[in-house]
Formats: sequence, C-alpha cells, structure tokens
Amino acid sequence: MEVKLLTEHYGKAEFQSLEGYKKIGDGYETLKKALKMQPKEIIELVKASGLRGRGGAGFPTGMKWSFLPENGEPRYLLCNADEGEPGTFKDRMMMERAPHQLIEGMIISGFAVQSKKSYIYIRGEYKDSLRIVEKAIREAYDAGFLGKNILGSNFTHDMDVYSGAGAYICGEETGMISSLEGQKGQPKLKPPFPALKGYLGKPTIVNNVETLAAVKYIVRDGAQAYRKNGTEKSAGTKLFSVSGNVMKPGNYEVPLGYPLKDLIFNLCGGLKPGRKLKAVIPGGSSAPVLTEPEAMRATMDYECLAQMGSMLGSGAVIVIDDSNCMVDLLNVTMHFYHHESCGQCTPCREGTGWLHKTVASIASGHGRLQDIQLLDRISKNMMGRTICALSDAAAMPAISFVNKFREEFEFFVREGRSKVKGEGFRHAQMHH
Amino acid sequence: MPKCTINGKAIEVKPGTTVIQAFKAAGVEIAHYCWHPGLSVAGVCRLCMVQIEGQAKLQIGCNTLVTEGMVVNNTSEPVKEAVKWGLDFHLINHPLDCPICDQAGECGLQDQYVHFGKYDPEMAMPKQKKHKVVDLGPTIVLDTERCILCSRCVRFTDEVSKTNELGIFNRGDRSEIGTVENKPLDNNYSLNTVDICPVGALTSKDFRFRQRVWYLKEAASVCTGCSTGCNVNVYYNEEGAWRVKPVQNEKVNGYWMCDKGRDIYKFVNKEARLQTAKVGSKDQWRLLEGGQAAKDVGDSLRQVAKTEGADKIALVVTGQYTNEEYDSLLDFFNGTLAVKNVYHWVNNPEDMTGFDGILFRGDRNPNTAGLKARLEKRGLKSDWLDLEKKIKAGAYKYVVVAGPENNSVFPDLESKAKMMSAAPHLVWLTAAKSEAVDSATTATYQIPLKTFIEKDGTYTNHVGLEQKVKRGTTIVAGALTLSEAVSLMSGEELDFSLRPKPLTNLKTNFFTAKRGEL
Amino acid sequence: MSIVKRPKVESQWYLPAILSGMALTFRKLVQNLLHKDRLQTLNYPEEKYEYSPRFKGNHVLTVKKDGSLRCTACMLCATNCPAQCITIKAAQHEDPSVEKYPISYEIDILRCVFCGFCEEACPVDAIRMGPEWQTPAISGSNFQNDIQQLAYRANLKGGVQSRLDDQERHKAGI
Repeated sequence: MEVKLLTEHYGKAEFQSLEGYKKIGDGYETLKKALKMQPKEIIELVKASGLRGRGGAGFPTGMKWSFLPENGEPRYLLCNADEGEPGTFKDRMMMERAPHQLIEGMIISGFAVQSKKSYIYIRGEYKDSLRIVEKAIREAYDAGFLGKNILGSNFTHDMDVYSGAGAYICGEETGMISSLEGQKGQPKLKPPFPALKGYLGKPTIVNNVETLAAVKYIVRDGAQAYRKNGTEKSAGTKLFSVSGNVMKPGNYEVPLGYPLKDLIFNLCGGLKPGRKLKAVIPGGSSAPVLTEPEAMRATMDYECLAQMGSMLGSGAVIVIDDSNCMVDLLNVTMHFYHHESCGQCTPCREGTGWLHKTVASIASGHGRLQDIQLLDRISKNMMGRTICALSDAAAMPAISFVNKFREEFEFFVREGRSKVKGEGFRHAQMHH
Repeated sequence: MPKCTINGKAIEVKPGTTVIQAFKAAGVEIAHYCWHPGLSVAGVCRLCMVQIEGQAKLQIGCNTLVTEGMVVNNTSEPVKEAVKWGLDFHLINHPLDCPICDQAGECGLQDQYVHFGKYDPEMAMPKQKKHKVVDLGPTIVLDTERCILCSRCVRFTDEVSKTNELGIFNRGDRSEIGTVENKPLDNNYSLNTVDICPVGALTSKDFRFRQRVWYLKEAASVCTGCSTGCNVNVYYNEEGAWRVKPVQNEKVNGYWMCDKGRDIYKFVNKEARLQTAKVGSKDQWRLLEGGQAAKDVGDSLRQVAKTEGADKIALVVTGQYTNEEYDSLLDFFNGTLAVKNVYHWVNNPEDMTGFDGILFRGDRNPNTAGLKARLEKRGLKSDWLDLEKKIKAGAYKYVVVAGPENNSVFPDLESKAKMMSAAPHLVWLTAAKSEAVDSATTATYQIPLKTFIEKDGTYTNHVGLEQKVKRGTTIVAGALTLSEAVSLMSGEELDFSLRPKPLTNLKTNFFTAKRGEL
Repeated sequence: MSIVKRPKVESQWYLPAILSGMALTFRKLVQNLLHKDRLQTLNYPEEKYEYSPRFKGNHVLTVKKDGSLRCTACMLCATNCPAQCITIKAAQHEDPSVEKYPISYEIDILRCVFCGFCEEACPVDAIRMGPEWQTPAISGSNFQNDIQQLAYRANLKGGVQSRLDDQERHKAGI
C-alpha cells in the first residue's frame, strides 16, 4: 500500500506555487509552529522520529545534527539535490512538484541547527528544477518566510541555489562542498568531518532533499506519528524510484519495510507479459544486485537489505528481467563509474578504468576466463581503500554481478556472445 | 605525549603526530607517494595503509593521528596485500619506459616495487594514452603518462612557492597535471617540483638526458649561491658535477632550495675553471704551476713589505671563501706582513639585504657574515672608495685579490678588474677563469683555487649559523685552496697529508656491485 | 700440501717421442696431399671461416623501419659493460614518441672483451653482436667505432632492422 505523506499533492500542478501550497497543503504553518519551539527540541524530535538520511548512507539525521560544535562559528546547511545515482529520480520530482515543501523543511532544519545560510546544490542537468526552485525561493522571500527575522521571530535565514556541472562525485557531501567552494569537485579527506569543518572550513550539515522535506512532517505531526510508518529501525516512508522492466515505472512512496515483491508486482504492475524476473538492483546502480529469489524475500528497509549484502541506497529500484544480459549491464555500469571517478585516489582512478576495460573486453567477446576472477579481485581491492565511497560504488556491483551471475560471464567468454539475446537495457535507463 | 607501538616497537611521540610520522620516527619503512613532510596531507595514493588494532578497516597512515596506546603495524597480510594492489593500481597505466626515463635509479615506483611489490602484473588491457614531453616552462618538462597524480607538485606551488601555476585537469584516469592555458611554470622554486616528484613525470631541462643517476655520486655540501646557505647534495662523477639537490635542514632551508642555487654546480666544472696559474698580462700569458706561482708571489710580497712597507700592498677579499681560509689569509697579510689595507669587495651593495620571503637572499655570497666578523675582530675597516682613490694615486704596488669563484653573481667583475689592474702588480686568486682578468694590462699573476666542493671548511650564513662543508671530489687537480696558496706565499711547503681525503661513503654502482646476480 | 711430480726417467729418452711426432707429421702430409678436401687449415685471409650466426662478434646497432637508430640511449649496455668500452651521449628527439636518442654512440673495440653483456642488457634489441669477427684497422682511432660504423657500415647493406617496432607497440597499447 502506498502511504502518501510527502507525495500527497504531487498530482496537482498548482502545488508548485506558493499560492497552491497554501491552498491545497497547509502552507508554511509548520514553520510557524517550529519557530515557536526551541532548536534543541526540534533536534530531539528528529532524533526521536528515527529519521535516517535518504541520500544513500542512511545515517540518523538527528544524530548528524547533534555533532555540530558549540563554538559560535557560522554554520551552513546544504541541501544535496545533486541526484546523480543512476536510477534515482525522486529528488527531481520533489523539487519540481513541491518546491515549497522542501524550502519549508529546510528553513525548519536551518532553525534547528541554527544556521543563517543554506544552499540547495542542484544537479547540473536539472535545468527545470533549478528554475522552479529559484522561483519558489523568490516567492518565499516575498512572503517573508526567508530573510531577516522570519515571521517576526529573531531567526534570520538566507537560501540560495547552486547549479552543479553534472559530476556524479559532487553528490558526495565533501565533493559537493568542494564544488560549492568553487574548487574542483573532489571529496575531501575525513576526518575532519563536515559537521566540524565543512563549507569554507565552517561546521556544515549536508542533507538530502527527501530528508529535509520529511523534517517538515515530523515537526507537523510529531515523532510518534512519523514512526507509525516503517519498521522499528527504519522509520517513516520513503520514495522509491522504480525503473527498468516494469509496466509502470515511477516514484512510489511506501513505508520502509515494504516487501520488494509487492512494490514490483502490485504497485508497478509487474513485468511485461511473458518475462521472468531475473534480478533487482534495490538502491541505485552502486548497490549490489539481488537475484530473483533474494528479491522475492526482500523488504525495503535498511536492515533487511544490509543483511542480504546489498543496501537501500537512494531507493532506486532497477528491475531486470530475463531479456537482459548481465555482462552488458555491468559494462554500462562500469563505463559510468570509469567516467565519473574524480581521479583523486589511485585505487579508484585506475581501478574503475581497469574494471571497465576488462568488462568491455568480455562484452566484446575478447575476454579470458581469468578476467572474471580478476574482476572480483580488482573490486575487492578497491573496496574501502579510498577517500569517498565511489570506489566501493563501482566495486560492489562488479562483485555481485560476477559472483551471482558467473555462469553468464563464463558463457560469454567461452562462446564470445551473450547468453541472453535481448534488447539493450542500457539505452533505456542507465546511459545519460 | 602519546605512546604507541609500531610493528611491535614502542615509541613515544608528540601530540598531533600522524601515524606515518611515527613510522618515520621509529625508523620503520612505510610505503607512500603523496605524503611529503613539507607539504599538506592529500591522502590520495592510498599506499601508507596500516592496520590499527581494534579497527576492522585499514587506515591510511598520513591522515590518522596517533592516539594513546595505539598499536599499529604495516606487516600484516591485509596491509601487504593492500600495498601490493596499491602499487599495481599505480602501475597499470604507467608507461614503464624506465630505460628512457631520467628518474630511473631514484624512482619511487621502482623502489616501492622492489620493497613492497614483486608481483606478476595482471593488467592485459591497453594503457591510457596521455600527453608526453609537455614543455611546462623554462626549467621543466612534463610527461603526463608517467605521472601518478600524487599532487605533490600542485601542493608545492600552492603552499610553498604560492604561485599556484599547476593544477590537475580532467577526471578519472584521464587526469593530467598542467597549467592554465599553457601559462609557463616559471618561478624561482620550480625545480623543487622535480625533486618531490616521486616518478619521472617532471624532469629538469637542465639535467635531462645528461647522465644516468647511477653514474653519479653525491656529496653533502652547502649552497654557495646566496647567504642563506641551504643544505644540498652535489651530484658528481669523474667528469665533474652535474646537479644540486636540497637536503632537509629545518634550521636553514626546510626541504627546499631555489632554482638559482641549483646553478652552482656549473662554475665548479672544468670549462669554467682556471686550470693552471698564469703570469703576464693581456695576450701574453705564461702558464706555470699554481704552487710555483704562489711561491713567486709570496717572495715578491715579502720583499715589498720589508723594503717599501706593508702600505704598498692592498688585499681585496670577496665573501666567497670559508672561515678557515679567511683566517689563514688574514693571518699572513694582516699578521705576518702587517697589511692594514684590507678591502671587502661587495658585489651588489644595493641589494645586499634583499630577501624573497622564502629562501633566496640578495647577498649572493655564502660567507659575507664570516668575512665581516673576521675583519671586525682584527679592527680592519674596509672603504672601497679609498681603494679606488689610492690605486689611482699609485699608492699601491701590489693588489692581491681573493676573487669570486662564482663569476656569474659578480656583475661588476669587469669594471672592478679593470679598476684594479691600474695598479702596477695584480695578484688574482680565483677558481674561475674570466675574460676580465685575462684582459688585464698590468703585470698579473692568476692563481687557480679550489671550489666549495673540493675543500673542507666552514661557511657562516646570514644569521650567523656556521655550517661545515666536506670535500667531495677534485675537479681541477692543479688548484690550491686559499689556505694552501697563502702558506706557500708565506714560504712554507705544503703538507699533502693534511689534505682532506675524499668522501668514503660513496654510493657504489648497484649494477656493478650486483653483476652476475641480476 | 702440494704434491711435487718429479720427471720420470723415461721422459729423458727423447728419441721415441721425436719419432712418433715425425710419424704423425708425415702421415698428415701424405693425407693432405691425397685428400685436399679434408684439410684442417684455411688459407687466411684469402679464405675466411664462416662462424655460426650466434657467434658474438662485432657489434651492430639495429635500425627501425625508417632507417633511424633503434637505440633509446638508456645506457644500460654502458652500465653493464665490464670493460667500460661503451660511451653514449643522449639527446632529446623532436618526435615525442621517440623522446630520447643517442647523438653519439662509441665502442672502443680494443677494450671490448666480446662478452655480450651489452646485448643482454639491451631492453629494445638495439645492439646485437654479429658474426663478423675481423677488426683490423690502420690507426688507433679506427678502433673507436661510431654510429656510422656500428649501424651503417657497408657490409650491413643499409642496416639490420630491429624486430621490435615502437609504432606497433604503441598501436598495441603497450
């Protein structure tokens, strides 16, 4: 069953404007409520709600906020709208259908962490989102929800948008901070973490669009109401971007813990007639792939997927039916990571290229049997050896593809052709 | 003071020490490329992997602080495997053109491979092609294929020279070092990037292809290019000196030296040197042994001092000699002969106190401070105008000059030499041959001296720090040190057993020593 | 302790040895007169002995397809040479794919001990030791073999082509 909390009014075009947001939704009423609370109270509320980061890592949001040092330095709140994970398109919809919902959530979050300035870092390709969010911010300024002494309180907050240049790595929080600072978009060494030294060397909180939007509903309804949905450890609802070989791809908001099987076969209308489910990537292209029996058992929450060796990630569910060649798919995925590696750390810079070249040689029929083993070994030696997680993001699909669909790779090497002759999957989804 | 254990060795370090620094302090070898003690931490080569007890994941040593009771090792199997693979990742797109690479023999990749690698490479794919032989500026050539993108050079131009010329362009394995719009890398510290480059990506135009490094021996010395006195290694072989590289000394130069200082090897080589003594004047020079010339000069000087008085002799000294040489020079002239007319030849009086904020100083003599201290001690006051006036007036019969060994930093050499050759007799003690002295019209003795690399001695730098230099090699066998020349002048014979022996800690040629085993 | 072998008495009877020696001489004389094709000697220098192609004789510097020197001036041969008879001066080539090449390559053939270490040390098949073995010359300076002599002497007929080719290696991505 879908639970429409964030996406309640997404079908209505007028929800985009401030007027519509006030008319259909509850306007900025929650902000008024929040400004009457203590910032600490809001942080405690978010902690109690069990909200976890919706960008990929699933780190508890309230905990992240409480890491900020009490040293009086200016703090920054950054909204990560650089949605680069192949398969994900939820943030775009959230920005384009309900920009005010995000802005309200951000002002509340900004108040909670006592930040005077926030930025929305929007992915370079999202031209429409940029235009819509900019317009919404202007409306919010005009209505007095942003700027000096918001709604008569002594809280001052400014908001700005920043358009990225289309690099995947700028979706990584420190990469995004570098880019925002005007430097080459490369992740920074941790420690120090952004909560201590982030944007311009000041304490910085980076949250995903969905996380910040959800804050609004937590403040509006309270932590217990939010917790009604989801499981004990994975509370609330989550948007899943379902793509691939399903009849009705799209964004679906369901409570966490929802069975993957129901998501694919009930909400998304199942596969094309006559096709069989082969595999599902549950959390964006960097998540390890699930085989069909695993996918049938899986529930969409952080714990279950982690237990299965995969991850919830950004919630991009890519459904793969039996018409797809896994070698081909891995080739496209590796091409993406080879292209997007920032080139800073050696294992990732060289490893992604090596993986891509090796898979490409298998996919072109020139592979050797030892290459399959080699793919696995290269990947395992890229895992956890770099500053950011891009190396892991490239290694995890490679390891899971090679180990779970080994016979397909071996067939390709032996016969020089794909075991499954199907229409290409790559042009539909994965290739920008 | 946190205590930690490194490969089973207990060590106490200062708070704020990183694990890699603790390894260095404990004298334990650890693989690394991007970390450099004089630069910020980049943490990109991922080679300094260590295993910290109680932590599941391997950590990089350069960005991990030592905490109390930390137990670290880099000898466990996971670390070895990680370092091996780290090297493999560095090498898969490396062109492996060691035979034509100038870095071969002192290359980080070669060293680390021998220490930590020794695996069979598995890369079977075509290598990434990038730009080769990129002209980066007047001093440096770049090969982007050899580059391992450790970013040391970029950090150097950002943090030390603060000129920000270099950057990394493009992404992933297409990344290349470069400058914006081909703006040249042109600053007085550019060659430090060649030193810190762990591979052969940045090579010095001056040294490129001229020698293989394993033919060279190194001698620790002090740069004589200016009064900072940076600690250096001079690389030489039987043909002469070939290059100069800085040696770390926190008190003087840190890890760096300037490009101008690197030219000091040029004036010690034979082609720039006065090989034998010469007597005569313009176009009529007679060659003779340096020792004989010194004896002849000494005889005449003592004669003049005895019969006509020491006032007939003037001594001109430059700031280019060692303290020991000044002592023996002044002992003879001021002590034995009682010469009071001692003049300090300042090569660039208007810029003597100049300083570029990093290392380079306007006083381009290694030992001005030492000379001044010695003149002061003997109560000798130098007044250059007085010399000019008296020479013009014909007050001096003999002008003895302890001239510059590095002519290139004496822009006034020609005019001063001309002025001094107005005296009836000129005695020019110097290591360098010079047109200006060769065209002297008066009766002149030129006596060949040794350069800083051929003698033992002490230089006093601009803050008064005394630094010893040791003899490395002999380039002009017939040359004398100033002390030797002076003792011959005073009528003593030389005791060659007192001459410093050449350095014994010479690098043996690896290939020759290991012949048959390779 | 060394054992001293004293000459036996028999060795002083020299006549049998002389006679047996003369017998061998006369037997060979007769054999050579009757079977000229079985002669053990050559009429040098009119007749010359042909050594096997693997004989380590005079050095040859190989050339590339375009006739330029294969040598990259890495100096490994000079480093490895036990007689230190190889002198190389390197320079930068205009073509960045060549980069380094020798402007002077000299072998002092009188110092050379023909050990073949140079050939073994060469990473690019640039120096080989060929089957030629005569090194006569009139003056001392003629023994200082230069590039002209090592790579392009008349009896090499335009040079020996190396089996390694840079262009092909670059194409193969090596």
